[in-house]
Amino acid sequence: MREPVAAAASAVTELVGDRASGWDRAGRLPEDLVRKLGAAGQLAAQIPTSYGGPGWSSADNGEFTAHVGSLCGSLRSVMTSQGMAAWTVERLGDPAQAAELLPRLASGGTAAVAFSEPQAGSDLSAIETTVTVDGDTLLLSGHKKWVTAADYADLILVVARMDEGGAVVVVDRTAPGVRVRRVADPLGCRAAGHAEVLLDDVRLPLTRLLGGGRQPLSLLVTTALAYGRISVAWGCVGILRACVAAAVEHAGSRHQFGRPLGRHQLVARHLADLWTAEQVSTRACEHASRCWDDNDAGLVPAIVLAKYVSAAHAAKGAAAAVQVLASAGAQDGHVVARAYRDAKLMEIIEGSNEVCQLILADHALHAVTGSRT
Amino acid sequence: MTTSSDQPVPESSAVQTEMLGFLAKRTGTTWATDADVFGSGGLSSLFAMELVVHLEKSYGIAIRGADLRMENFRTVRRMAALVERLRQPAPGGSGA
Repeated sequence: MREPVAAAASAVTELVGDRASGWDRAGRLPEDLVRKLGAAGQLAAQIPTSYGGPGWSSADNGEFTAHVGSLCGSLRSVMTSQGMAAWTVERLGDPAQAAELLPRLASGGTAAVAFSEPQAGSDLSAIETTVTVDGDTLLLSGHKKWVTAADYADLILVVARMDEGGAVVVVDRTAPGVRVRRVADPLGCRAAGHAEVLLDDVRLPLTRLLGGGRQPLSLLVTTALAYGRISVAWGCVGILRACVAAAVEHAGSRHQFGRPLGRHQLVARHLADLWTAEQVSTRACEHASRCWDDNDAGLVPAIVLAKYVSAAHAAKGAAAAVQVLASAGAQDGHVVARAYRDAKLMEIIEGSNEVCQLILADHALHAVTGSRT
Repeated sequence: MTTSSDQPVPESSAVQTEMLGFLAKRTGTTWATDADVFGSGGLSSLFAMELVVHLEKSYGIAIRGADLRMENFRTVRRMAALVERLRQPAPGGSGA
């Protein structure tokens, strides 16, 4: 780990301390923790230095994301949302929008990105939230669901329909017509501030339309999710690292039938599989981050691959860790219990396992015949 | 293969040749410069982002904001025109 990344990682370790399980049970992160990390630019560490951010590479930010993910899945989810919002502004916004919004997101301002709707989950082409131009203002109406980190966000980037295409609209949480309602008792990442966002004839200045809008909806979604997916994938590496540490510690210290658990072959297999899962996921994420940092044309399949591999391994690995710790880990708030619930959500968000499989199959059908380099 | 009538810029035709090669390599199919690569039987929208990344990397340009429109990527000729336009000295636009 590079020095500034390692320094940030140990600072977060200190900030989180032993409080993650309490946050999980309470379903809330301390606001000052989110603001503090945000002010240090660490919720979205890839924001370029020219916009006041740390300007980290994807590889560095990935390692940092995994570290935070090993401590607290909810905090890592908030980072994913903030980073995805920043990336979306950087990519889709015009230079003036980037110059206004990115410094805010690098200095303590918070943001979330709203995709899903009651009738549009995996099929985002079905979204109904619509933005129109009315004179010299925008008019936005719709209903978003399961917006990660929305409850902590100052700004919500809303993916909407605009004429024949799509648009991303930057909405102030306090704007008239905006209501944010927490999702009660989510299965995992319980303190990540998942919320419903209701938009009722919200009026906004034209400058809140990223890049002027009317871009292809599928391209908007693919672009925003590129960051979200790689971030979730690294978060899953963190889940696996926490599980490996907990399982190894327990299997090495607890004795049954006269020897350490880890010396029983059936338990040893769990340890081997868990460690393998962490290694395989790390390699897939490193590859995706290298493609990101090199702006390699193979970036898109590499990201989906990393997300798919890491989420599936995290879900299986967390289940194995609970199995190894058994009653010692079978309580809400325990690191492996959190991992177990958080990892299941990772198989659902930012493209479910099945959506990832469809994308990868499509890639194989279209591309692999052409070139295997 | 015939060249376009509306934008026969020599520089741009080099981009067209390179892009035809890229598409052929990635899809296993030969494309004409004015073929709609995203039309029926064409490429997925996921591939659009791959195209964006490839164009940025190959030609040292940044395709951001309002330039991210499908019209700019629909045919090889339009991609070349976009590259041509963005190669003019542009402000800022940091890489990923």
